[in-house]
Amino acid sequence: MTDPEESASAPTPLAPGEVGLVAPCDFVCAQSFTFRSGQTLPGFTLRYETYGELNATRDNAVLICHALSGDHHCAGVHSLQDRKPGWWNNLIGPGKAVDTTRFFVVCANVLGGCVGSSGPSSVDPATGEPYGIGFPFVTIPDMVRAQKLLLDHLGVTTLHAVIGGSMGGMQALQFAIEFPGFVRRVLAMATTARESAQAIAFNEVGRQAIMQDPDWNHGAYPKGGGPRVGLAIARMMAHITYLSDASMDRKFGRRKKNPGNGDVYNFDVQFEVESYLRHQGQSFINRFDANSYLYITRALDQFDLAAADGSLEAAFGPVQAETLVVGFTSDWLFPPEQNRAIAHALLRAGKRASYAELTTDLGHDSFLLESEELYTLVRSFLERSQAPVVDFSI
Amino acid sequence: MNKVVEKRTVDMQIIGEWVAPGSRVLDLGSGRGALLDYLVQTKEVSALGVDLDFGRVTACVARGIPVYQGDMTAFMREFPDRYFDRVICSRTVQELDDPTGVILEALRVGRALTVGFVNFGFWKNRVDALTRGRKVRNEVYTTEWFESRPANPVTIADFEHFCAAKGITITRRAHLRGNWRSPCRFLPNLFAGYALYDLRK
Repeated sequence: MTDPEESASAPTPLAPGEVGLVAPCDFVCAQSFTFRSGQTLPGFTLRYETYGELNATRDNAVLICHALSGDHHCAGVHSLQDRKPGWWNNLIGPGKAVDTTRFFVVCANVLGGCVGSSGPSSVDPATGEPYGIGFPFVTIPDMVRAQKLLLDHLGVTTLHAVIGGSMGGMQALQFAIEFPGFVRRVLAMATTARESAQAIAFNEVGRQAIMQDPDWNHGAYPKGGGPRVGLAIARMMAHITYLSDASMDRKFGRRKKNPGNGDVYNFDVQFEVESYLRHQGQSFINRFDANSYLYITRALDQFDLAAADGSLEAAFGPVQAETLVVGFTSDWLFPPEQNRAIAHALLRAGKRASYAELTTDLGHDSFLLESEELYTLVRSFLERSQAPVVDFSI
Repeated sequence: MNKVVEKRTVDMQIIGEWVAPGSRVLDLGSGRGALLDYLVQTKEVSALGVDLDFGRVTACVARGIPVYQGDMTAFMREFPDRYFDRVICSRTVQELDDPTGVILEALRVGRALTVGFVNFGFWKNRVDALTRGRKVRNEVYTTEWFESRPANPVTIADFEHFCAAKGITITRRAHLRGNWRSPCRFLPNLFAGYALYDLRK
């Protein structure tokens, strides 16, 4: 997903309705963790943030799952000097769609990530060096199982909801399958039950850009070093898949960087869209680890809920949660049809499921959109009282 | 309660009587979920709605009624034969692009199909059309032609003919007079304001 700076009109961090100052925490799990691949770690760390308070019955927790390039910092600011708040700050906060005065919001950096959680850039205690590609292969179920251990540690007995877009949506669905009795509601947006050939293809181009960079060195590079060129190119390419033709044309059109210069017959930056993508690539390499990018895109590729059980309906068999799937018309990475297919299978499996579709032209990143319609939908799904209301108004 | 809402609840009550408790019900054109909400609360049905509009879908979600935003025929194709105990098509049939396609698909996925519609053959509509020579307008047909969606007004006689032509069995019918309350037994195509049919194939 793109950086929140694109869309967020920066609110005053301490204004009412804002989460305000937040600090990340580390959950250190000392138990040995076995991955789907069969590989094990003697223990792992998840970096996470929480907003709001866990109630006395410990059942008001809402888990937010992040996408490929996201992290645990989904709302508020770390310091008053921060230029931008957490990536889903528009959705989460006191009185917002995910209301932190009602819910205890938890968001963790995924296993395999590079923003404080255990991943390929973590130091292997056996060697004193970063794991690199010696880190166990991570899958979406592994990410989910690690987050369940965190929630157990936090004393959460029931998840009021698990929410995510894109890869976060995959985790949300997986959560409802792996821990059916634990999850009441699933809100999955702009996602898929099965990474498509096109999406795998884009991931592979990104990985090749990284792995063909000589500085990748088979994953063995010092902290702060590594395949900076490859990672930046991977990000530039991926970034295009999060937008749409219409939104890019509106944002950049054919505008030139230096309009006074007329046509320039060289390969320097000429169009604003080029300069924007180069900036995206450059800022990404300062915050993301190339090996993590390989691991997480591989986890996306391997995601296919139907594969293990023969059909999506069978995979959804254990689900007890009520699910809301939201698709976005202009999303061509995980298009509406793939989101609808999730709802179809859940319904065929006899589950409570809904599907809503928002008309936007912002592409895959539409789930981060500032939209009152989307907020109302999310709030309606999360806050609907369990008690029946007698109101037959049309 | 205004007149329209009152009429709506009469509609609900009759459909409610036909719906078996605890059955699986699909409402085509579920709107804001009022009918399904009523059926959930009075008959504990397992409800599912389908509608095209994001705002109406949001209203269903807020009521706790599972709902699917999209084309109803394409949606029904996703389900095996007789998946639903009952499909309901209440006051939607006159706005469908392909009523035959929808009704036959509904009879495939549903063991029963309830269709409710305003009888365009009601005498007041005939008088209105005859005397004014313009699009019928009254408390039921409230819009000018230029500010409404295309509609395919249907009469009781039309609908009965349709069922016969398509080999659809009518298992129950309810014809209500102009007040949409008392039963209409005499010349329903002329004197009934509202009609409800229960169909099987």
